[in-house]
Amino acid sequence: MHSAPADAQARDSDILALLQSGALEPAFQQVLARYQDKVYRLCRALLRDPTAAEDAAQESLVRIWKAIGSYDQRASLSTWIYAITRNRCLTAIERRRDLASLSDAAVEAEAHSLQQLQGELPGSAGGEPDDDAELLRELVDLLPERHRRTLTLFYYEDRSVSEVASMLGVPEGTVKTTLFRARAALAEQLRRRGLDDPRHWLETSR
Amino acid sequence: MNPKDECMNTDPPRGARLDAPVDAPVDAPVDAPVDAPLDTALDKALARVLPPPSPPPGFQARVNAALARAQLSDAGRAASRALALRDQRSQIAALDADYLRLRRRTLGTLIGGAFAAGAAVAVAYPYLQATFGPNAIFVLACVGALVGIGIGSASWIGRLRLISHLERRLGRL
Repeated sequence: MHSAPADAQARDSDILALLQSGALEPAFQQVLARYQDKVYRLCRALLRDPTAAEDAAQESLVRIWKAIGSYDQRASLSTWIYAITRNRCLTAIERRRDLASLSDAAVEAEAHSLQQLQGELPGSAGGEPDDDAELLRELVDLLPERHRRTLTLFYYEDRSVSEVASMLGVPEGTVKTTLFRARAALAEQLRRRGLDDPRHWLETSR
Repeated sequence: MNPKDECMNTDPPRGARLDAPVDAPVDAPVDAPVDAPLDTALDKALARVLPPPSPPPGFQARVNAALARAQLSDAGRAASRALALRDQRSQIAALDADYLRLRRRTLGTLIGGAFAAGAAVAVAYPYLQATFGPNAIFVLACVGALVGIGIGSASWIGRLRLISHLERRLGRL
C-alpha cells in the first residue's frame, strides 16, 4: 500500500522534473492547473467566507509562486502547497479575530447559534427536501470548528481521507476519528429532531 | 481502498472514546451506536449539501493580475537594489580615491618641506655661524625644533577646532 504523500509525489513528478530543470514558470503553470481549485476549497473550508477564501487563495498562490524556486522537496509538493495555504488562512483568521470584538451583536449571534444547537430550531420533520438540506447545512455549520472543516473538506475532496489529511496537515487516523465524531454528532442532532429515518435523508439526497 | 468506500466504514476509529453521556456537547465523543442505514443516507445527503465549491468567476484572471503585480514589485525591488549597490560601489571608489590623493599630498608636503628646510639651512647657516660661532649648530637645531613644534601644535589646534566645530554642527542637528 502506498502512502498518501508518496502518491502525491508520484502524481507531481512532472512538476518536480520541471523544477529540477529550472523551468519555474511552466512548473508553476502546472501547479496552478492542478492545485488552484484545491487551494480555494481548502481556504473555503477553513475560512467559510467566500470573499475571504478568495483573497487567501490568491495570496497563497502568489506566495507559492514567489517561493517555488526554493522548494527543496523535503516534503511532498502538495504538503508544501497546503502548508502555505493553511498559514495564509491562519493569518486571515488572526486578522479577522483582531478586527472582531465581542460586541453585543456577536454575543447575541453566538447565543442564537447555541440555542439552535440545543434544538430550538423550528422543527422540520416532514418538511420539504430543500428545507431539510438547509437544516443539514446549518447543523454542519454549528459543529465544532475542527469537525466542521474536516467534514466539509471530506465532501469537497470527493470523500478522500488521505487528501483531507494532507490538506489539514494531520494524520489520516485523526481525520477518520473527526469524521466519525462529526457524523455521530449530526446523527444525534437529527435523532433529537425526530429526523433519523434513513429514508427521509435518501429522499433529501436525490 | 477506494476513497469512496472510506466513508462507509462505520466502525469507530481507534482511540474514539465510547463512554460519553447522552447529553454530551456535540464535540465530545459520543456513545450512540452507529446506525448504519442512517449513516449511509446521511452520507449521501451530506454529499449533496456540501458540493465542492468552484472558484468564483474571474478568479483565474485576478490570480494572474496578482502574480503580475508581484513580479513587477519583485523586479522593482531588484532594480532599486542594483541601483543602491552601484551607488555604494561608486561612493566607496570615490572615498578610496580621496584617501589616496590625501596620502600623496601629505607625502608631497613632507618632501617639499624637507627640501625647503634644507635650502633655508644652506642659506642661513653661514650667517648663523658668523653670529653665534661654534654654537650656530645648536641655534639651528633649536630653531628647527621650534618650527617643528609650531607646525605640530598648529596641526593639533586646527584638528581640535575642526572637532569642536563638527560637534557644534552635529549638536545643532
